[in-house]
Amino acid sequence: MTNTLFPARMSPRQTAAAPPFASPHGQAGRRAPLAIAALAALVLSGCATFSDDGGFAPVAEAAQKRLGQPAVWARDDATAQALAKERDDLLTRPLDLDTAIRLTLLNHRGLQATYAELGIAEASLVQAGRLPNPRFSFQRVQGGGDTGIERTWGIDFVRVLTMPLASRIEARRFAQVQAQVTQAVVEQATQTRRAWIEAVAAQQRVQILEQTTLATQAASELADGMARAGNFSAMRRTQENLVYADTAARLARAREQATSTREQLARQMGLWGQQLSFTLPARLPDLPRKRPAWPGAEAQAIRERADVRAARAALDATTSDLGLTRVTRFVNVLDAAYRNNSETGRPSEHGYEISLEIPLFDWGSTRVAGAEARYRQSVDRLADTAVAARADARTRRAQTLAAWDIAEHYRTTILPMRQRVSDEWLLRYNGMLASVFDLLGDAREQRDAVLGYIDATAGYWLADAAFRESLGGGEPEGVEASATAAPTNPHQHGGGA
Amino acid sequence: MTSRRRFLRDASLAVMGAAAVERTSLAALPDAATRNDASTARPLAPPNGRPYRPVVTLNGWTLPWRMRNGVKEFHLVAEPVVREIAPGMKANLWGYNGQSPGPTIEVVEGDRVRLYVTNRLPEATSVHWHGQRLPNGMDGVAGLNQRAIAPGRTYVYEFEAKRPGTFMYHPHADEMMQMAMGLMGFWVTHPKDPSFMPVERDYVFLINAYAIDPGSRTPRVNEMTDFNLWTWNSRAFPGIDPLVARQGERVRIRIGNLTMTNHPIHLHGHEFKVTGTDGGWIPPAAQWPEVTTDVAVGQMRAIEFDATEPGDWAFHCHKSHHTMNPMGHDVPTMLGVNQREIATKIARIIPDYMAMGETGASMNGMEMPLPENTLPMMTGTGPHGPIEMGGMFTTLKVRHDLPRDSYRDPGWYRAPRGTVASPWQGSTSALPSTHRQPASAGKTGVKS
Repeated sequence: MTNTLFPARMSPRQTAAAPPFASPHGQAGRRAPLAIAALAALVLSGCATFSDDGGFAPVAEAAQKRLGQPAVWARDDATAQALAKERDDLLTRPLDLDTAIRLTLLNHRGLQATYAELGIAEASLVQAGRLPNPRFSFQRVQGGGDTGIERTWGIDFVRVLTMPLASRIEARRFAQVQAQVTQAVVEQATQTRRAWIEAVAAQQRVQILEQTTLATQAASELADGMARAGNFSAMRRTQENLVYADTAARLARAREQATSTREQLARQMGLWGQQLSFTLPARLPDLPRKRPAWPGAEAQAIRERADVRAARAALDATTSDLGLTRVTRFVNVLDAAYRNNSETGRPSEHGYEISLEIPLFDWGSTRVAGAEARYRQSVDRLADTAVAARADARTRRAQTLAAWDIAEHYRTTILPMRQRVSDEWLLRYNGMLASVFDLLGDAREQRDAVLGYIDATAGYWLADAAFRESLGGGEPEGVEASATAAPTNPHQHGGGA
Repeated sequence: MTSRRRFLRDASLAVMGAAAVERTSLAALPDAATRNDASTARPLAPPNGRPYRPVVTLNGWTLPWRMRNGVKEFHLVAEPVVREIAPGMKANLWGYNGQSPGPTIEVVEGDRVRLYVTNRLPEATSVHWHGQRLPNGMDGVAGLNQRAIAPGRTYVYEFEAKRPGTFMYHPHADEMMQMAMGLMGFWVTHPKDPSFMPVERDYVFLINAYAIDPGSRTPRVNEMTDFNLWTWNSRAFPGIDPLVARQGERVRIRIGNLTMTNHPIHLHGHEFKVTGTDGGWIPPAAQWPEVTTDVAVGQMRAIEFDATEPGDWAFHCHKSHHTMNPMGHDVPTMLGVNQREIATKIARIIPDYMAMGETGASMNGMEMPLPENTLPMMTGTGPHGPIEMGGMFTTLKVRHDLPRDSYRDPGWYRAPRGTVASPWQGSTSALPSTHRQPASAGKTGVKS
């Protein structure tokens, strides 16, 4: 006996009969089983070779469609160099949101590592579609004066037999990896989007605080002058000095925020070293001029979301498994199961298991019942996922609209009123009805209103990012042309501002 | 002066019909004459009844009456009004017959007077005839002497004007609100004998004060001390007409104070005598010579003088804040504080900012935009530049060529050559050496 675990031991003559495989010894058996020959032909005509793009095309296509930016997988040094050059070119201009996402897709090494999952999965797929190499074994036994020599040609029969199944499973697995990589791209883009909004908003806050620190500094110096001239008491003077000191602390805190959010953004774009000297636009993009509508958000979520697509794919797989089970219930000796072992807090394990069974006692009725139950389960899972996805999309849409309302309220109501108050203060100052300290105090209040507006605008864009994510990563569709006065994609306003 | 007195208002123009009063319910009542103009109306010569020399109400008018069976009948309508405090500012006030203060009521000692009072305010009111001797039930304290006059109702008061003198009328119902809103008027009872203390010109006005926040129109009625509009007959300079007199004429000015503080009223160029108080006329031997008389809260004073000195003489309350229009009472003193460098910084966040106050509060005639419906703190321009006064300030204009009974503003005084203060043109050595330090002063530590 050979130590081959599977019982695929054949006589040399039998083994040599496997025709499609070139025998190193040139033994061409004429009595090869037709079944095997047919099966081998079938498998060989399948996808037993590597694709040109490593299966990246659907990912790149999805990135282009959803994010409006190309994703490129640097599979060789030339591509990597081209990407580095493109990255360096992009970094010479202020980074608007689109550019930041583009940089992420080109440059983020974690994402590139994820792209490599495709290569790994494709290797498995190709491997599954190739017949195993035949095995030759030689045995020489000596004993009792006899010398026995046994030569064995072998091939992993079970693998050959299960090759169509394994290929199908690997193909499914490969598609799943493509979906996962696409999802990783979307998630990474969302991370970058968030980080960009936070970084620009933080930088904007710093600008405002720097400006009003000037006001408090002026008030503080003026209070010093007032005290020197004998017009202010030590208490009144120190109160103004204190306001300045307090503003300086706020400014320091804001600067720290700006630094860390910028670091976070650099990290999401995969930048380091000299690349960190990128500049950001001075302001967040303007809000869409008109209140968006997005009536098709739920449909878009159902169509695009990764979880819904996965649930649908699972249902399709179950459906085809059920069909297989029905057809083969009496003769099938195979039971293929997709394994997905997941445990909370640990990465899930994927794979499959194939076993052979001889139908002596159970003629398949239990398997059919089980498959049907699994089918119904998949249907319910899909429905459940879809309900949750719709709810998520609706919630995110409502949050985004509310954020728009708030930011718009700041833009059209609070800020103009705040400006009006400042104008009125100046009129009062003109009439000696108010003092310069009133003006400077008002400037501080105006600062708070502007900071509130920055928060509200950042709140809108963050909600927008979450909304996009809930829709599967793409831009929300269904904004009626008349409902948006913004001439172009609002993100493009970010650059020059 | 931006505002010129307009005396040529005919009575038929000034006294408009009673179109606003219900004709059915008030058919038997005298017309409720009304007036919208804030200029000084010319005196109302009595068309009937006992003769007297009528008064001139500064930026106001006298209420016409009708004689009915020997009784003088007046009709007052208490109502919301819009009063121009000065050109550029109007206030929502409460008044009588279209104006705040209401029209002056002039009667003669011994007259039987019947006063119809219609309430067109949103709340109940009453009228107290301040200083009169009258039956207790006519004294007008709501709740004490009578029921308050509900909105839409008309009450009638009737009494004899027993003693001559200077009086006022004002509500005695929710008076904090109603007085703060300007509900008040002047009353003069002329002596039966026209030859008693005769004068050529008899001016009357009430002192009142309002708290109207810059940019608003309605007084803050709960204010007690921090008023920002100090007014005579609800007018602030430069909205107060000048008092004019022909040189040598005897002039009387009657002043009533319905504010919550006293006002030292000061006349330039003449000394006057306080000839009348709330209690009546002061015997000549008891009259005080003054150039300033303090008119306390709720008091009336009559002062008299011979307008002997030609010129434009200042006449004002001597509390300096009372000759200012709205100003910030919490504005710190900027005097002596160099703001030039700081102003550059401030201008970066407040672009229209301009430093003020380093050398004083004077704007040197510069005008800057103000909150709407707000008067400049100091305004008015005279023949020699900015007068920098507001509030309780006007002028007494004495001219030798002013026609008798003319109240026309004669314009600015043309001072004779050499009678106006002017820059010193000589050398400084000719100046008296007042700064020279006495030799002995060194020991006392006085520095030059």
